[in-house]
Order: sequence, then C-alpha cells, then structure tokens
Amino acid sequence: MLTKILSMANVGLKTENVDVEVNVAEKGFPGFGIVGLVSKAVEETKERVKTAIINSDLEFPTAKITVNLAPADVVKEGSAYDLPVAIGIISAIGEVVLPKEKAYFYGELSLDGSLRHTRGVFLLALLAKEEGVKNIFVPRMSANEASVVEDVNVYPVDNLKSLIRHLKGEKIIEPLKPIKVTEILSDITPEFDFSEILGQPQAKRALEIAAAGGHNIFMMGPPGSGKTMLARAMAGILPNLTERESLEVTKIYSLTGNIPPGGSLIRQRPFRSPHHTTSQIGLIGGGSNPHPGEISLAHRGVLFLDEFPEFGRNSLEALRQPLEDGYVCVSRAAGSVTFPAQFILVAAANPCPCGHLGDPKKECKCSNYQILNYQKKLSGPIMDRIDLHLIVPAVDVNNLMIDKEKIKGESSIEIKKRINEARKIQSERFKNLAHVHSNSDMKNSHLKEFAKLSDDANLFLKQAVNKFALSARSYFRLIKVARTIADLEKSEIIKEFHIAEALQYRVRGEN
Amino acid sequence: MFKKENYNKGKNGEEMAKIFLLEKGFNLIEMNYENVIGEIDLIMTDKDWLVFVEVKLKIGDKFGSPEEMINKRKLAQIKRVAESYLVLENDTIKNFKKYRIDAACIVLNEDQTLKRINHYMNI
Repeated sequence: MLTKILSMANVGLKTENVDVEVNVAEKGFPGFGIVGLVSKAVEETKERVKTAIINSDLEFPTAKITVNLAPADVVKEGSAYDLPVAIGIISAIGEVVLPKEKAYFYGELSLDGSLRHTRGVFLLALLAKEEGVKNIFVPRMSANEASVVEDVNVYPVDNLKSLIRHLKGEKIIEPLKPIKVTEILSDITPEFDFSEILGQPQAKRALEIAAAGGHNIFMMGPPGSGKTMLARAMAGILPNLTERESLEVTKIYSLTGNIPPGGSLIRQRPFRSPHHTTSQIGLIGGGSNPHPGEISLAHRGVLFLDEFPEFGRNSLEALRQPLEDGYVCVSRAAGSVTFPAQFILVAAANPCPCGHLGDPKKECKCSNYQILNYQKKLSGPIMDRIDLHLIVPAVDVNNLMIDKEKIKGESSIEIKKRINEARKIQSERFKNLAHVHSNSDMKNSHLKEFAKLSDDANLFLKQAVNKFALSARSYFRLIKVARTIADLEKSEIIKEFHIAEALQYRVRGEN
Repeated sequence: MFKKENYNKGKNGEEMAKIFLLEKGFNLIEMNYENVIGEIDLIMTDKDWLVFVEVKLKIGDKFGSPEEMINKRKLAQIKRVAESYLVLENDTIKNFKKYRIDAACIVLNEDQTLKRINHYMNI
C-alpha cells in the first residue's frame, strides 16, 4: 500500500514541503530502499526506523519497501525524516490510520522508539503556519520551539508507541499550550556588570552609544587596559530583544541546532566571540551545503572580535559586505543562500605587536616595519564601516588602590534602562519599516525623514566634512551616530553638540 | 566439523527448493553448478525463461531472515557466475532468450520442520 506523509526540507533559512511517499509492496523481493537525493544521514534512517519499529512491539514488514522523498531535486539532509518514514510504514501496513487533516511529521528516532531533539522544529512551525497546516507532530524535547508560533497545534511526541496510540485514538496526546512571546522576553540578569570595571568612563559612554543605536565600535589600547572586559560587559547592557528580532534570531539558532533540548525562543541578544583562528567560512558562513557562520549567529547581537589584527586578512575583508548590507549571500555549486547578519561589531586591538605604542609609561619595542605590518590589517574599507573609534588608555593602578567606591561607575542595570528607552524611541520611529530596527539599520534615504539636523548642526557638519575630508559613507554614519546620541537624550532634533560628540569618535580613526 | 554440518544443511535446502520449484512447473537443468568464478545453487527453466536460483536456508529466526542475507553484493556475485555460465555453456542455453535470477528462501523451525518457503521472481 502507498502512503504519503508531509515533512520539511530546508535550504539555508528557506523551507520547502517534502512528501515522504512510502510504498510497502505485496510482491517483490523484500528490502528497504530510500530514494530522492538523500544524504548519508538520511540513508541511515533505514536502520533507525527498522529497529525503532521492532522495539515498539510491532512487526517490521518482510516486503519490498520503497521510500521516496519528493521533490527529488532538493537535497535532503539530517535525521528528521525518521518519524515520517516510520509513520508511513506503520500506516502502509494498516496498523494505524492517518488523520484526515493535513499534518507535518518531523523528528529523529532513537533505536528504542523514542524521539530525540531535532534541529529546525521552529522553521517547521513557521512553514506550517504559512501553508495553513494546523497540526505538527514533533519531538517533545523540541516542541517548545514551535509553541510560540500562532495558529499551529503542536503535538509533543515522546515515542513511537505513544504516537501510534494517539493515531488509533486510544490515548490522545494533548497539544502544547501556545506561549506568548512577550511573556518569555521578560527579565534577564546581566552576567557582567559595568560597575565592576573601574575607570574608563569614555569607553563606557561609547559602548552605551553603540548598544543604544547598534553601531560598530573599535577599541584600541595597550594590553590589560580592560578592552576585553568592557566588551564582555557590553552583553549586559544590550537592549531587550523585541518580538520580531527574537523570531529572526531563533530561526537561525533552530536551523543550526543551537537551541538546547526543551528550549524555546532565544531571549537574549547573542554575544559571539570567535577565536582569531576561526576560518573564513566559520566566520562568514559557507560549506558545500551552506551553513550560517559566526556573523549570522551574532544576528541582532554582538560579534566581538578580540585581537582584531590577528584574524586572517581574508576573513576580515570578507566582513565588508555584510557590515554594510546586514546580510550575507553565500553562493556554492549546490545553490545560493542568504543569511541575515545584522550585528554590532565590537573589535579590540593593540596598537602594535608589543602593545605599548603611545603608552606614556612603557616603551614600545616594535620596529616601524612591524607596526606598519600590524596596522595594515586594519584596512581603510573596514575602518570606514566602524562608527565609533575609541582609544582605551592603560589604567593607572594607583588609582585602583585608593578608593574603589569613588571611581565606581554606574551599574549595568542603570545604563540598560537608558538604552532601552532610546531603543523604544527607535522602534516607535521605525515601526512601519520591516527591516529597520535601530538607527544603524537606517538606509541613507531614511536619514532625511528621521534624522533632522538643527541649523547649527548642519553648518558644523559641513565644516567638519571639509576639515577632516570625511568619506560619503562616514558622513552618513556620522549622522546615524548623532541620531543615537540625540535619542539617548530624548531630543527629537539633532543638535550641534550631538554631532560634535559623534565626530570625536569618528575622527580618531581617520588619523 | 561445523563446515560439514552447514554444507549438509545447504544441500538439504537446495533439495527442498528443487522439489518446490519442480512442483511449480519448473524444469531442472543443473544443480550446484560450479566454475572458477563461483557457484549457482539451481539452474532451471520456467517456460521460455532460463532461471538462476539462489537458495537460502535458515533454522530459527535468531540470526535474521534468509532474505536479509541476499544483499547487493551477493546478487552481483550470482550475476557474475550467471553471465559466465551463459558464455561457457553455450549449447544448453541456445533455446533461451530470456534470463532471470530468482531466490528461494526457506525457514525451518528448531526441530527441522518446515516453517515457510518463499519464492521471489526476478530479484
């Protein structure tokens, strides 16, 4: 008998319906074959399904079983076809009757018949909503991912036996209660606190601006001045994820299997700090079957590149296009895939190989050639895309010893409060624009409408552009930073001193 | 000693398969054909077909079904021997234009009584 089960395949973040056709023939030499452009993991489905069915107290049919995953021109990856194939076989031998209503089946089987956490369940739920399919059957461990998608009944399945009982109508599996996204997105306590970092008020202010507007930031300073600590503390002042943003991030994390078993939406902005030996593909994304890289995993969050010049030149230069566009398009022989990559780049570097160039207390031991070679990595095009350039000077240890209370700064919670308010202004401003969430996302055409300058500011800006020979891109980015500074002060119009502050972060990099 | 035992079992199975297929209207040409490349359990004719039959016998189901034992590799081996047979024994086969490979799978109970015998055409 022939049965047809609905399941899903994905190419990058795009999903597609897959019909799992199972034929259990009455005639022919017994065997079990899967066709339909399947990868190795899907080939192994045969063994898992066979053993799982036997261990669920059913007899595996001694017959010619042919499974076809249609459409045949899409590569099927992963282990998620175990459940649809198993259900297909069980219903083909007449053990259960499939529900009349369309439903997706998705999940990896364990040899004992239980279902394992499977990546991509969130994407499945979105596909079901799009296709108007009401019911999805997924592993219980992954079901929470899907339960935030509205209008879809998510049936959490423990094992094959319980699903068979459900389909027979003996013991019904209750669908999960839908979870409201806003309920999940509440309080998160920061890991690192800004008040733990002594001194460096300038750097803290710059990080606040970066977090509030989503601007890229570059920190340069001698070793031990606190660059890494500042960057890590930044994770604690990032604004809360909005509902839209959380769904975007969850999509990527569900695809890569980065959501832990039982987990649901991603609630915290991602903070990724890949090591400088990370390959270009690891950073940007790629592979023969394109996979998102670190920049996509940092989507709507922070990508922290410590020891920036130590990264491979190719990797750094590959950042140029995604930094500008907010997405990365990976093309391979198998096809072309677009991954979102709207992240805040936080880069940290020493001024020279020994780290003490420009340090008033310690002498730099590097030759001119060494310094030149080191700084060559910080190419113009990359630096031009960074809005805030910052020098983090060495902290005078004497100051640390006298009075800690005196130089203790604000706590992360206070800073975050301001940032959240600034973000609120921004999301109100961009509520009609689908892909713009913060000031840094603005396209240049939006500036006229959303970033109005006072007359003083306009004049000041003109002078600055001429004096410092700013590039066109720098000019627009300068206005965006000024917009954020104005938002932090809840000023509707960008004033002269907003531009001035934005300019001081820009000009350092130009020299 | 065990080898001998298995050999006898196999002979038994081939004998059973032969009788079963003869009853079905097949005619025997050769049993346990052997050349340098390998051997074929039964070579029979079914109407205008020349049929090469692989016989598998299992006692009990502890070690899986006989069907599982005939995989792609085994099939390729039978094919190779069959092709060599067609070349070497030109006289006997000239009346036949169509050839195929069949399988006969026999399962015995522990007490040597017959549990089932299945015949698969054109595997």
